[in-house]
Amino acid sequence: MKKKILVILAVIAAAALLFTGYQMFLAPKGTEGSKEVTVQIVVEKENIDETFHFRTDDEFLTDLLKEQQEKLGVTLQSFDFGTMIIGMMNYTADSNSEYFHFQVNGEDAMVGTDDTPIQDGDTYKFILTPFS
Amino acid sequence: MKIHDIVLIGLLSAATTAGKLALSFLPNIEVVTLFFIIFTTALGLKRSLLIAVVFVTTEILLYGFSTWVIGYYLIWPLLVLIVSALGKKARSEYSYAILGALFGFFYGMLFAITESFFYGPAYGFAYWINGLTFDLVHGASNFVIILLLFKPLKRMMDAQAAKLQIS
Repeated sequence: MKKKILVILAVIAAAALLFTGYQMFLAPKGTEGSKEVTVQIVVEKENIDETFHFRTDDEFLTDLLKEQQEKLGVTLQSFDFGTMIIGMMNYTADSNSEYFHFQVNGEDAMVGTDDTPIQDGDTYKFILTPFS
Repeated sequence: MKIHDIVLIGLLSAATTAGKLALSFLPNIEVVTLFFIIFTTALGLKRSLLIAVVFVTTEILLYGFSTWVIGYYLIWPLLVLIVSALGKKARSEYSYAILGALFGFFYGMLFAITESFFYGPAYGFAYWINGLTFDLVHGASNFVIILLLFKPLKRMMDAQAAKLQIS
């Protein structure tokens, strides 16, 4: 049993070390300092197409959305896998038929807003999209 | 197939679902890997494959149908096949703990491969990288859980299998 406990402790220590390595070298990193970004929100069925310009010190997009929550009318929900955008411009998406599609500089985002680092000059577009 | 096999497959797939749900509040910490390793070593390949298929089908009933279903239908039977192929080469709980750890570490990658067939390799790669920390937790927790629980559960399962005359 003593051997098992030692092995388990070694595995936990190795996992912690790998986790730290991931956070240091592989995890997305934000940029410190002031950045100017554009946020565009499109909810076609409500005739909404609004563009906002922000100057921010936030490093990740979720932080900016939280900071500008009132202006953008954003509703966020936290899950195990990260933050999900439920509503924008005070419009709540019907979770059975639509969602807020998210683009960074015209390209579909590969990660969520939690892991999207804010870069100076970026444009973030949120489009209400039906499930196809 | 005998009636008690059908009942056994139903009960054990339900136990697997219950085990998964009981730990669902802890991200990527699960007993499903441990259960399938024990089922395969104690009850054999055929029964365990059927338990895996019933378990995945139950998951669809609980969470709905999407592309992850394909990954699930491949990944859990794959684990059963690997454990069965290992056979007597795996002599101790350490072998199974290492297998469980590797399974956990590569779980996200296996899913990323199936997802990339639907959404492209770029999505698959991003999906995998994004979940690396979850895979790490999955692998390490599988190792600990299997190392601690494999022996007592296997003993219990073997005793029950002997009682029911399952070979």
